[in-house]
Amino acid sequence: MDAVTYPDDKVIDFINSNLIPLRVKSDMPLAKEFNITWTPTLITLDQQGKEHYRSVGFLSPAELIPSLLLGMAKVYFDTGVLDQCLGTLEKIVSGHPKSKAAPEAVFLRGVAGYKNTHDPKPLKAAYEKLQADYPGSEWADRAQPYRLL
Amino acid sequence: MGQIAWTNEMKDALTKAAAEKKPILLDFFSPA
Repeated sequence: MDAVTYPDDKVIDFINSNLIPLRVKSDMPLAKEFNITWTPTLITLDQQGKEHYRSVGFLSPAELIPSLLLGMAKVYFDTGVLDQCLGTLEKIVSGHPKSKAAPEAVFLRGVAGYKNTHDPKPLKAAYEKLQADYPGSEWADRAQPYRLL
Repeated sequence: MGQIAWTNEMKDALTKAAAEKKPILLDFFSPA
């Protein structure tokens, strides 16, 4: 991460603009609190310090930014800020459609859209987009029940 | 070229997160 991803200008700009970056050595007591067993482990926390998303292992600059967006979206989803959640997911779906985070973003966009409107159409739309664009992904499988809506 | 504005203390990160209304990115790394 230090050699390739963190020196990347887009990564620097994204993190400094959107997140509060906190870096802790894996031999510090905080690592035990978070059950860290491998590095790098990147965790997205809300403003109270509660965990909402984590990834383990190296991520390239092209994968890190959508992964961080997904973590932010999960913070907004879990804390009920659904408009901000949907806006963040849209950045992944539109701006990083080939990233590994994209299929999960499509799925979560459907769920957040449903929770925001109580209309099942976003769930069906998520199923259809996953079948069309990410048919081999686990998220296409997880959306299977929504085909019946 | 700039660099990531890391903080090393959870307390500082929580204070900044509340002030700037942003989530926290917590990166655990192995000492070199």
